[in-house]
Amino acid sequence: MDTEALEKLVMGLEAQCRKREQADRAAVDVPVSALEPLMRKLRNEDPLSFDLLLDHTAIDHIHEGLFEMVYLLYSTRHGHHLMVTCEIPRMDSIAPTLSDLWPIAHWQEREVFDLFGIGYDGHPDLRRLFLEDGWKGYPLRKGYTDPDMLEPA
Amino acid sequence: MGIVLDRLPGFLEPIPGGSVLITSIDAIINWSRSNSLWPLAFGTKCCAIEMLMATGAPHQDLARFGAEVARQTPRQADLMVIAGAIVKKMAMRMRLLYEQMAEPRYVMATGSCAISGGPFMYHSYSIVRGADEVVPVDVYVPGCPPRPEAFFYGLMTLQKMIRQGETIRKPGIRKKPVLAALPQGITIDDLHAQQQEMLEHDNMVDVEQAAAQKIWATRLDQWIPKPSKNS
Repeated sequence: MDTEALEKLVMGLEAQCRKREQADRAAVDVPVSALEPLMRKLRNEDPLSFDLLLDHTAIDHIHEGLFEMVYLLYSTRHGHHLMVTCEIPRMDSIAPTLSDLWPIAHWQEREVFDLFGIGYDGHPDLRRLFLEDGWKGYPLRKGYTDPDMLEPA
Repeated sequence: MGIVLDRLPGFLEPIPGGSVLITSIDAIINWSRSNSLWPLAFGTKCCAIEMLMATGAPHQDLARFGAEVARQTPRQADLMVIAGAIVKKMAMRMRLLYEQMAEPRYVMATGSCAISGGPFMYHSYSIVRGADEVVPVDVYVPGCPPRPEAFFYGLMTLQKMIRQGETIRKPGIRKKPVLAALPQGITIDDLHAQQQEMLEHDNMVDVEQAAAQKIWATRLDQWIPKPSKNS
């Protein structure tokens, strides 16, 4: 399915869905309250059937005070890609977990928690993945500094 | 072997002619150690492909240095080739492996990540800036990654250091013969004077004059056709 048809189909599923500017594939943006129902429909409904969550990451917009969560989906049945983004506030950031929809989301959400500090509501085992257990701070946030860094990033 | 080498200098020194014997024994022992360095393959990143894998291949052959026996266990290795960046998590394990190696043990840091943290030196939150924060390094091989030939130069430097800088009288103490010699006819004061002159001379530059003096500036004048007179 090509990009425009896909976007139109996805935006028809959920009322608060918007097209995301600045993307190299079909991309939509949802508010966080609509994220989980939309993802469930994206996985289950037939002309979409996104069965692979390729990647999940976050973008730190420190000046707007937001984290933008990015989900990259792929369908092995139809071969189309989709990017779903969702903005959550930077203070007390909590997002719904998708680990019961796609099992890989378990570790991907642990990675985002490890590096950004975003909590996941309903995650079975939310703890650090790459960094050591006693690490203080979340390195991929924009304001992070470390005494070992020679220059603040 | 270890107990013999520990006791031998104390046993041989008092005997007349014993020092000469120890020097000859040193020569044999250092020759044999330098020609059969068994690397501990400690490749963490891209340098491993050049330093451990490409050098083991037939084109640039590590076997001609006697070092193709790369062991994965530190108990049987005597040269730790650090090929790749060391992160803080890995630094603990690397220290553990270093302490498990039997003496005499040598360390070679290859690639800029192992020397100083490499391109990640300024901003990284997880990289250790240089393997020499974790273990004492004997030879540094610069490059990103160093060519296998550069690695062999480092290996030969290490061999030279073993042959000329080690003795069983003082185990664990190494001289570094490559560091001490200036080229013939040059002294440190010469170098200082040259550096001072360079700093004074290069302090200011006249840009117009420098631009006019370039070789290609004169060639440009020859290349641009002169405007003809009747246009």
